[in-house]
Amino acid sequence: MSVSAIERCLWALLAAFMIAVPWIVPALVGSFWVSVIAEILIWSLLAASVNLLFGYVGLLSFGQALYFGFGMYGVAIGVEDLGLSFWPAFGLGIMAAMAMALVTGIFAVRLTWHYFAIITVVFSLIFYFLALTNKWLTGGDDGINFTLPPTINIGGLSKSFTDPSFQYFFILCTAALCFWLMHRLFRSPLGKAFLAVRDNDVRASLIGLNVYLLRLIAFVLAGFLAGVAGGLFAFFGRYASASYMFYHVSGEAVVWAIVGGAATLLGPIVGTTLFIIVREIVSTHWEHHSLIVGTVAILVVMFAPKGVVGLWNDWIARIAERGSAPAGAAKLRTEP
Amino acid sequence: MDKLFLLAMNGLIWGLIIALIALGLAIIFGLLDIINLAHGDFFMVGTVLAWATLQSTGSFWLAFIAAPLIGFILGALIQRIVIQPIRNVAALSIVATFGLSLILQESVRITYGPTPGRILPPIQSTIHLFGVDYEAYRLFAAAVAILALGGFFVFLQHTKLGTWMRAVRHDRETAIAMGIPAGRVCVLTFAIGFALAALGGVVAAPITTVDFRGGVDILPFCFMAVIIGGLGNLPGTVAAAVLLAVLEGIMQSVADPTVARIASLVLMSAVLLLRPQGLFKGLAR
Repeated sequence: MSVSAIERCLWALLAAFMIAVPWIVPALVGSFWVSVIAEILIWSLLAASVNLLFGYVGLLSFGQALYFGFGMYGVAIGVEDLGLSFWPAFGLGIMAAMAMALVTGIFAVRLTWHYFAIITVVFSLIFYFLALTNKWLTGGDDGINFTLPPTINIGGLSKSFTDPSFQYFFILCTAALCFWLMHRLFRSPLGKAFLAVRDNDVRASLIGLNVYLLRLIAFVLAGFLAGVAGGLFAFFGRYASASYMFYHVSGEAVVWAIVGGAATLLGPIVGTTLFIIVREIVSTHWEHHSLIVGTVAILVVMFAPKGVVGLWNDWIARIAERGSAPAGAAKLRTEP
Repeated sequence: MDKLFLLAMNGLIWGLIIALIALGLAIIFGLLDIINLAHGDFFMVGTVLAWATLQSTGSFWLAFIAAPLIGFILGALIQRIVIQPIRNVAALSIVATFGLSLILQESVRITYGPTPGRILPPIQSTIHLFGVDYEAYRLFAAAVAILALGGFFVFLQHTKLGTWMRAVRHDRETAIAMGIPAGRVCVLTFAIGFALAALGGVVAAPITTVDFRGGVDILPFCFMAVIIGGLGNLPGTVAAAVLLAVLEGIMQSVADPTVARIASLVLMSAVLLLRPQGLFKGLAR
């Protein structure tokens, strides 16, 4: 069996598993794990927004929690204060996150590398402290609790997140849609332009690419992903809180993305899954699970600097090389 | 007016302590090109070491020697074991130091406990200063911080090791060609960075609380000082730390602490955007 056939099989298995989760997971390990998997999907979208910026455009953002928080608050304020129903509130959350990404991005993408990392933290800290002080709007650290509006309400059919299976499938579909869109994006001319900017911004500008505009577009798209994640998480937990805008949340997303494998589509999912499952398993037995999370993070960057998916890809490439092409031809390949 | 003076004075002293910690961050940043997210926790380890020394020996003063020494050893070990293997990839260092930060916080939570504690100042008296009774310990803390800062700059400018550190930062390849053991200089730098943060922790322990999360608030402040002072500009870092803390102190007399913090963050984004080379470029080298 060829390598690509194996990979296709794994994809089919993964898809089948994800669809079967609400039936097989409660039977195997308990229904609690369905909501853990839903949470993993949500957080992997936040990790994906870090990955889009770092892996594909070369900008390390330490402030993606800001847009996650705007997604959350857009939904919570939309439902609780403005009395919106599900879809307008979700839209408001995503729009708020994208608008915020556009406004902060206009300033932030003028800078690169260290400076970019730091200004994104600074922006997220400014709004974190603003959210803490403006309790009338945000509820501060306590946050806003809201009652869940129904997602679909056509005639007699009413579905909402109170049904765990429906909640799971809604999150699964949204996440799958986002990852499919990213897959398309990375293969499009725009995605290739992102890679050109990442690899060498001077050359990219010499061949006529508008580096500033490309970075800004990527920043707003990353804001979109973080906003979707935040909006979903607000519906998932039925609340929004300023504590999710703190830089620790951004930091965790960076760790998940890099440990999973930067510049790979599935890296953020793998990294997020690894860390959340470790956390859930260990924290029920031992309260000091952070020790394990920290150790895993350090071990991965020491022994698998390309992340888990990078390690897997190298392994697959080596097998493919040994199986088919003669060694000389394989060495000539320059495209990663 | 008295209140303003008090807040400005507190800000000044807090700024000097922050300067110590930020200086450690700046040398690690400048020499190793590492964004050290665990640096706030190095400070926190210092406060806990001060508490531990006080508990085990009954003397707070011993901590001024013990904590930087333990910090130095820990720093050297961390550099050798964790930082050395990944030093070529700066993005990875962020993940590694984030992991390190989690490990340090959790280790302290296991050994010291989750509840914040307080240390009474070893000097209880007050000094009458410009019409207010000022805590003598804070003045002592300022003196220690100034001495340590001065000592570090003398070390950097006038000793062989200090010259080596500057040389490796300036041009690593040439430094190696001249026979400077760059690898060992990196270990030394990281160790000194940890020791400075730990010393800052001891000095600050009786002023703040001893808490396993104590480093989380310190870290952004230190980064602000490093950036506003200008990357690689060590005297600039010290000046920026003091300036920021005094400004926040003065602003606290008219607004609440969070608003003051927001104002300094806005100031920092302005500096980043308008003068990314730092406020003091050209003043010191």
